[in-house]
Amino acid sequence: MSSSPLLSQVTGSVWEITAQVGQTLAPGDTVMVLESMKMEIPVLCEDGGTLLEILVEKGEAVSEGQPLAVVSA
Amino acid sequence: MSASSADAALARQTQLDDEYARRHDHAVAMGGEVKLARRREQGVLNARERMDRLFDEGSFIESGLFATSAVPADALKSPADGKVAGFGRIHGREAAAVANDFTVMGASSGATNGRKIAHMKRVATQRGMPLIFLGESSGARMPDHMGSRGMGSLLGNDGAQYQRLRETPWASATLGLSYGSSSWYSVMSDFHVMRKGAVLAVSSSLLASLAVKEEVDPQELGGWKLHAEVTGFADMVVDTDEQALLAIRQFLSYLPSHHQEAPPVAPVPEGSGQGMADILKLLPASRTQVYDVRQIIRTVVDRDSFFELKARFGRVGVTGLARLGGQTVGIVANNPLYKGGALDTDACEKITSFIVLCDSFNIPIVMLVDTPGFVIGTEAERRRAPGKIMNFMNALSLVSVPKISLVLRKSYGQAYLNMGGGRNSDEFAGWPTAEISFMDPQFAVKVVHGLEPGSPGFDEAQAQMDRASSVWDIASIYAMQSVVRPQDTREYLIRMLQVHELRMTRGVGKHLMHAWPTSY
Repeated sequence: MSSSPLLSQVTGSVWEITAQVGQTLAPGDTVMVLESMKMEIPVLCEDGGTLLEILVEKGEAVSEGQPLAVVSA
Repeated sequence: MSASSADAALARQTQLDDEYARRHDHAVAMGGEVKLARRREQGVLNARERMDRLFDEGSFIESGLFATSAVPADALKSPADGKVAGFGRIHGREAAAVANDFTVMGASSGATNGRKIAHMKRVATQRGMPLIFLGESSGARMPDHMGSRGMGSLLGNDGAQYQRLRETPWASATLGLSYGSSSWYSVMSDFHVMRKGAVLAVSSSLLASLAVKEEVDPQELGGWKLHAEVTGFADMVVDTDEQALLAIRQFLSYLPSHHQEAPPVAPVPEGSGQGMADILKLLPASRTQVYDVRQIIRTVVDRDSFFELKARFGRVGVTGLARLGGQTVGIVANNPLYKGGALDTDACEKITSFIVLCDSFNIPIVMLVDTPGFVIGTEAERRRAPGKIMNFMNALSLVSVPKISLVLRKSYGQAYLNMGGGRNSDEFAGWPTAEISFMDPQFAVKVVHGLEPGSPGFDEAQAQMDRASSVWDIASIYAMQSVVRPQDTREYLIRMLQVHELRMTRGVGKHLMHAWPTSY
């Protein structure tokens, strides 16, 4: 089983983590919500999979391209 | 006619037919049953099957069936010289195509098949029909190209070989390992679909490994993910050959056969516009919430007509062909679902190339706006944001097809101009939910007064900065022509496109960007 990281598209902060480790994600499911440019921007698991690890905490500042979570491919 | 002369005529006919049949059968046998069987096992079509599926049934007429390698020793092992070429109809309209036959000498480029490609290009351009390339080629044929005599004979003898003037649409598919000219034609096309598992690169992973002295993975070198998400060279990604060929047929259904005619008009499917009454539900009430603008697009356009291009590249900008009242339109939209709709450099490139496509083939442009502006910061500058933003802006200003811009929600700063604000579109309109200003008032207070929310004097400063950004103010000075209720959007766009029809030129624009680059 291979895994791939979900990367942040934006520089901002973690607003809310909505999924749990071990959860099965359908394509397009939201894993967490970032706050950037006064907007709440969801981090989507585009291809679906199992959420293996969450690499950030609520409130943490993140930069563009930073890995946020790991999903099995 | 005497009996004996009739017999002689029949014998002669039979002899000619036999030779024709023998040569025909050898040519259509391609690289032989072993190679063809291997492809079947892999679920991959061969070049002739691809041609059959690309064109309307029974409409294919081949050109160069009896062509072979110009090297006499290779003549027998090079049926059609590895590139099947010809003409056929797509939805009843003529098109020209070249399908690489990988089973014959790796579909490598040689003198004869170079002549075939040149002929297809010439006929397509002069007679006004689309040109299609089905790519799967190992590149230049060895050893034919080796040495200075080889180079002098095979390369550089057609100064316009890689010239793109957008006189007729080009569509391409990468359906296997594709290097050299196969890759060049794919990235020069108006539409390029890639099958998963295929590879598009300058040269093979083997050659790349030799050059950089390390193992190079073919998928990393030029797989679908790279071209769908990083380079943007793939307009669409599919799972099978059949889907790729269908995608080319669909793409061409929106386009005219050549640049001197208007796009074809399709019947309006029943049920089009049926979601319009509830369209406002797709736009969140809170300005901090995001949504997928593609839901709004699909609701507005003719049912099932939205054909998205480069869906996984520069996702903050959505581009795609669609129909409104049966007429082809190009949709450009911001997608707040990604980066809140803030335009990044990839989105700028994607929108620019789409504007060039629409303008070159007489397709009116509809822009749906919801952007807080351009992504700014050091990374954006390193990625040459000012150049990308101005390329986009310059392209928009050179458009001579009708362009309508409709603000759904936010339109700020320079992005207001890039997304067709003011006179940068032929009709500028907004939903009552639109907000238009130079920057978010909170940011403006920080920039001008250096104050953060909560610090003393912030509220007063913001109140001063927070001038009305509502749609009514810009409409009151007629810097915006129409305020459109969301539920009236489809009707408004169809009617305004009728008003702006290019009557004096029968729907044909000026094509000022016909020689623009095919990638940036």
